[in-house]
Amino acid sequence: MAPRYGSLAWLSRCLLSAALVLVACAIATARFGQRLQLPAITSRDGALITLNRYVDEPTPDIVLVGSSLTFRLKEEYFATQRLRNLALAGGSPLTGLEIVVNQPKIPKLIVVETNILSRTADPALVARFSTSQHPHQIFFRPVRASVAAYENWMHAPPTHAQNERALQQLLDQPPSDFDNHVYLERARQQIDIEAPPAVVSDAVETLGRLVGALELRGARVLFLDMPCAQPIEEARFMRGMHEAVHKAFPDASRWLSIGLDRTELRWADGVHLDERSALLVSRYLDRIFSALQNP
Amino acid sequence: MSFTSWQFALFATIVFGVYYLPPFKPFQVQLLVAASIFFYGYGQPELLPLLAVAVCGTYLFLVLALRDRRWLPAGIVFNLALLAFFKYKFLLFDPNAPALVGVPIVDFLLRLPLPVGISFFVFHNISLLVDMTREKKAPPGLVDVFLYIIFFPQLVAGPITRAGMFIPQIEPKRFADITFIEAAKWILAGFFFKLYVANNLNEMTSYMDFPLYETLRTQDRWLLVILYSYQIYADFFGYSGIAIGLALLFGYRLPINFDLPYSSASFSEFWTRWHISLSAWLRTYLYIPLGGNRRGKFRTYVNLIIVMGLGGLWHGAGLGYLAWGLMHGVLLAVERPFLETIQSVKWAALRPLRIAVVFTCVTMLWIFFRLPNFDHALGYLAGMFTPSTNPNPPKLFYDLALLYSLPVIIQHLRVSSPVERRLAVWEPYLYGALGALAYLEAGPATAFIYFQF
Repeated sequence: MAPRYGSLAWLSRCLLSAALVLVACAIATARFGQRLQLPAITSRDGALITLNRYVDEPTPDIVLVGSSLTFRLKEEYFATQRLRNLALAGGSPLTGLEIVVNQPKIPKLIVVETNILSRTADPALVARFSTSQHPHQIFFRPVRASVAAYENWMHAPPTHAQNERALQQLLDQPPSDFDNHVYLERARQQIDIEAPPAVVSDAVETLGRLVGALELRGARVLFLDMPCAQPIEEARFMRGMHEAVHKAFPDASRWLSIGLDRTELRWADGVHLDERSALLVSRYLDRIFSALQNP
Repeated sequence: MSFTSWQFALFATIVFGVYYLPPFKPFQVQLLVAASIFFYGYGQPELLPLLAVAVCGTYLFLVLALRDRRWLPAGIVFNLALLAFFKYKFLLFDPNAPALVGVPIVDFLLRLPLPVGISFFVFHNISLLVDMTREKKAPPGLVDVFLYIIFFPQLVAGPITRAGMFIPQIEPKRFADITFIEAAKWILAGFFFKLYVANNLNEMTSYMDFPLYETLRTQDRWLLVILYSYQIYADFFGYSGIAIGLALLFGYRLPINFDLPYSSASFSEFWTRWHISLSAWLRTYLYIPLGGNRRGKFRTYVNLIIVMGLGGLWHGAGLGYLAWGLMHGVLLAVERPFLETIQSVKWAALRPLRIAVVFTCVTMLWIFFRLPNFDHALGYLAGMFTPSTNPNPPKLFYDLALLYSLPVIIQHLRVSSPVERRLAVWEPYLYGALGALAYLEAGPATAFIYFQF
């Protein structure tokens, strides 16, 4: 016969059990820390993991900030050491740039993607990652952490040699023949509008302020127009943004130029580089960084 | 003010703390009405006059209808007109347009947002008018009517309580009568299903948005539809559980809204298990007045389709909602002639098979809820049957999907009574752990899905 608890006994046991679970998770956090990288389900999750790592680890030499266009340039594509990509899918380059500015130590070189500056910086992300004492989770998340441990165990990151082999295989393949014209046309229609002048001028002003702050502290800041499909580059919004930023920063030595053969590049969804193209751009940037580091 | 916000926790604690204090005992109803007005006005103060007009107008029609029954239809039309105006005006007007009709007061009304919970309090109003007129008793006091319609646990998304069930409960409440264990179980289960299951699954099902879903692999499109099916259940079950638990703390018993709907072996059974209070309302106030099943087979089928179609439109002004309701109506009509024969077949494997068929159909139809744009919903459906071509599809973690869905699956497995009795000793510990897990593993905050209706 199951016991029938009185209300007080039932609620006390319930509270005790909840407290025990919380204490166990707090102890687990103290014991294991925040080392386990939780699986990213959405782009925002991915951004949190990237930014957590940036503020937790030693300051890199080179940082890329940008939108989803630059997000495709995975760090493992680069041969350059001590490089971090803080581009945020669905986010603004200004978010990453502001977080970099707010850190006590800054990288030597910061590359800013300027294609999509219309989005303002994400104040929540900037606030969360703008101090050296960014808030840590007090409690271990048992389900997420278990899945992360399982995923890390089942799909351990490839070794450098394995990675190199896979990337070389990708480079050896011909460019994709995927027909993207439906996606390309849809994307073009969405951005074939005039960029609101106030938005553009605000973005350029903010960019100038952040770049000035970084340069005052001795960093070098370079700008990058990520290569896009021709109809996208010719859309009114992109053209307007391009002209405004180049007008504000006319010094050609500030601009990185991607001199790749455009026929080699593909944008599967109409806007973002596919894996092979992103690898080609990354390798091209590697050569530029190498030249800058060893003039 | 969402049930999952700290503001609501503070609000509910203060109201509960004051409610049973001896000086406030004579004013318990007034206190709950004042608290409910504050709760509603906290998010949309500009819509409080509308709430007052709806309740006072309904009360006026009730008093008139009790003298002369011919006022009853006028009262129902008044409420349906309110619902139709606020819910369907956006079909005809763009609220952001610089000029609407040019009459300032009308323009002001046209620009008002959709009042949260309007679908629910209008149904309460109609229930009040019909039940009270039918019983021909003296009308309840205006404050009691206010409490019935705007009682804060059920104001925004139900359960839809019939006046005949709620109003007799309005009497002085004693602290000693609170069923604390039952209330705690409902509230903890509600928060667990909302925070752990629904909010975490929402992170995954966000890939069902247009045009994101086009990047998914075909099998992931199927997976996400199933996950959305679990999410919408967990979200609404969670809300209803919290509402029932909170109401118990204040001495009121609200109707149960869900009874393991995904274990239904027929569509008619599904509608006795899913959003039970809405199904009961539609049956009582729409299906039966339309003639129900008393006017021959063909008329019964037509009635079913009409009622479900209107039930779909009640959710929102869109072709997708209408299609969702009509298709449920068609499924009910199609199964009706065969139901008796199927139920008479004694084959053990048949029931699981029937459950699978009902779950699959119900789940596929949720696409019209997730994507109210009809073209997008059709695009998603088509994508479930065509191979995906995207070379870089997003990666979904199947293990996480399973872990977040598990509570819904386990709940529907129906633990047998002997096992349940043996587990009873662990019940308080289990609920405590669920509460802790809801806090630890809460997904990013999102509004309850049914708040939009």
